[in-house]
Amino acid sequence: MKRIGKLTLVLMVVCLAAVFIAGCSGSGKKEADTKTLKVGVTNFADSLEPTENYFAWVVMRYGIGESLAKFDEKMNVQPWLAESWQISADHMTWTFKIRDGVKFSNGKPLDAAAVKASLERSFAKNKRAVTFFKYKEIKAEGQTLTILTEKPEPNMPGFLADPLFLIVDVSAEPARNFAKEGPIGTGPYMCKTFVKDKAVMVKNPYYWDGVVPYETVEIPSIDDPNTRAMALQSGEVDMAVNIAAGDIGLFNDKAKFHVDRIASLRTVLARINQQGVLGDPKVRAAFISACDRKVYNEVILKGTFIEGKAPVPPSMDYAFDQLKDPNSYNIERSKQLLAEAGWKDTDGDGILEKDGKKLTVDFVVYNSRAELPIYAEAVQSDAKKVGFDVKIKSVDYNLIDKMGINGEYGLLISNITTANTGDPEIFLNWYWKTNRNGDNPQNGSGYSNPALDTKFAELSTTFDRQQRRQLIIDCQQIIMNDGAALFLGYPETNIISSTSIEGAQMYPSDYYWLTNKIKPAKK
Amino acid sequence: MGSLTKDKFLFWLYTFFVLLILGFAIFAPWLAPYDPYDAVMRQSLQAPSDDHLFGTDKLGRDCLSRIIYGARTSLMMTLSLVAVITVVGTFIGVLAGYMGGKVDTVLMRIVDMMLAFPGIVLAIAIAGMLGGNIVNAILALAAVSWTKYARLGRSLTLKLRQRDFIAAAVTNGSRPLHILWRHILPNILPTIVVTAAMDIGTMIMELAGLSFLGFGAQPPTPEWGLMLNEGRQHIQTAPWLMLYPGAAILIVVTIFNLWGDSLRDIMDPQRAN
Repeated sequence: MKRIGKLTLVLMVVCLAAVFIAGCSGSGKKEADTKTLKVGVTNFADSLEPTENYFAWVVMRYGIGESLAKFDEKMNVQPWLAESWQISADHMTWTFKIRDGVKFSNGKPLDAAAVKASLERSFAKNKRAVTFFKYKEIKAEGQTLTILTEKPEPNMPGFLADPLFLIVDVSAEPARNFAKEGPIGTGPYMCKTFVKDKAVMVKNPYYWDGVVPYETVEIPSIDDPNTRAMALQSGEVDMAVNIAAGDIGLFNDKAKFHVDRIASLRTVLARINQQGVLGDPKVRAAFISACDRKVYNEVILKGTFIEGKAPVPPSMDYAFDQLKDPNSYNIERSKQLLAEAGWKDTDGDGILEKDGKKLTVDFVVYNSRAELPIYAEAVQSDAKKVGFDVKIKSVDYNLIDKMGINGEYGLLISNITTANTGDPEIFLNWYWKTNRNGDNPQNGSGYSNPALDTKFAELSTTFDRQQRRQLIIDCQQIIMNDGAALFLGYPETNIISSTSIEGAQMYPSDYYWLTNKIKPAKK
Repeated sequence: MGSLTKDKFLFWLYTFFVLLILGFAIFAPWLAPYDPYDAVMRQSLQAPSDDHLFGTDKLGRDCLSRIIYGARTSLMMTLSLVAVITVVGTFIGVLAGYMGGKVDTVLMRIVDMMLAFPGIVLAIAIAGMLGGNIVNAILALAAVSWTKYARLGRSLTLKLRQRDFIAAAVTNGSRPLHILWRHILPNILPTIVVTAAMDIGTMIMELAGLSFLGFGAQPPTPEWGLMLNEGRQHIQTAPWLMLYPGAAILIVVTIFNLWGDSLRDIMDPQRAN
């Protein structure tokens, strides 16, 4: 009897295991579903409220919201919800003609008054808005929107293409919780349900710009890059964004996958806090010089990143090759600088000391982008060779913004888009313009250089393209000379899609993932 | 030699393996072919070859060397953890058992409270709050694991307290501390030691688990759980990064478990029959 009991038990376990295995393999999709699209993304937003944090990016990426202008694949500003625009002779008034026939996803037509209400809402609710431009007045008349600015704003259409200024139906708000249910926008899809881990979109029946091919779009957030790659391999999702460097090789089969790889406008940099040990320019220069960035990008990241040097990536035309990095890789110089700054290894543990204090630096990183911890560990290893003790602190992405603003770091890694307005002015301002009592909150490092501030002031009122270009080049050189940050590399970015769908395209701006151009492939 | 029973033979066999592992840990600097921290980044992610028997990781560090040094980290963490929970847990248990009354009630209710939480989840919470590093991981696991020894120590003490020789010692005027040290501890020690030995394997796993989740050892420390996590990113393109640390954990945990079992068998002849 006892033996039979045991046998039954074993059989049961085997059966259970079989059920599990069958369950797992059953989830692989056999046929292309033409009604539902599944997109694997990494989502940082807790809510869909476009004015909170950077959540507007998600609202735009998921195809809910659109703005007055958009960036094309070369980062030129193109009309979107605005048909055309012009600037007055005194450079203080911009006039936008709002496209006729556009409707919000609740059927309400889009007019200038709705755009005005939406823009004012962004300004009222998000402090970042005024870092783009300040307005005296916004006037709405029929389909004509007029913006009177406080000072000349050369790049206004580019500013308004930023997701922060995407247009929502403000009048729908009392009845609808934008944060939880998603805003009412003009995009091809609208939100059905949203939690951080998964969003479900449905077709916007009133979409103005052609056919919307899918009834439903499921957007699971798969934060781990390798899991995302596996989900795409197994057919769990039809397309995925930002497949990690190490995994791109898995999608070489052209019959199964389409890989859209482009040089992005992003830069991976480590902000350097100027208040701690890295406040000493020599120590800072020594740190940067110790990092062999060529190897990080070409070997470890297999060439999916370009070697870092300056704030603005070489994909934009700001004379990247002419910029001189005073702190290029030179381990001897690094050691010498540290010795000049008075750091010595007195106890023989390989870490330098000065006045009884160890040369320790906290390096804050987050893991939702696969390359960041890799860079951090490579830097840690290189810096140790000259006597730095780098302590890596992994934190959740949501803490990064706050830590950056409060300056709670020695080094803080970020993967930042440098030209979210089609021009790197804002990016340079955010991180390196002097922060006086919190008027430039993104610069939490304490970095300040009056010469740079002067250039920034000049840049903000310069319209001439050539002059702007030269000013931006000058600004970059000052930042590099000061060793204000460690520029690690410039990523490529990608969308990889199954060949069962077509039209998935990555844009350099990284704002447009889900569009109505993505549709089932013709067989 | 003729009297060597099967149990004893197995015990010595496993002891030999355990010593072998300890040897690897102690003599790591002589056994490892490379410095485990030496990142030769130009040789990142090389497949196993004659130069690098277990391949190299993403920063070009030699995996074999890291696994050998990993034995050091893992065993040091585990042994100190087991030592801490054995000493603390037994002390509290014996105290509760011998003193009885209010002391017993208070201490055992604390134990009950700790047992109400699922162990590893609580450990993750504690390690998460303290911040990830080796010491905090040990503290976190110690905080949830000592209760077992407290319970064991208490029940063994309760059993002994009824015995005549304790009563005799009390009548002779021995102080409680003396009785605990000279009469009770030696009698409960074998059971405690066997339990501790059998716990080593589990603790290696749990520590590696915490490191895998990022709550234990931090990069660039060579630690098996952490190495598994680092290798996870390359599971499809560089499987050796997960294979060898995984195998190391498997082998070491198995050996310690078998050793603990065989130790129990020879220490407790009644059970062996």
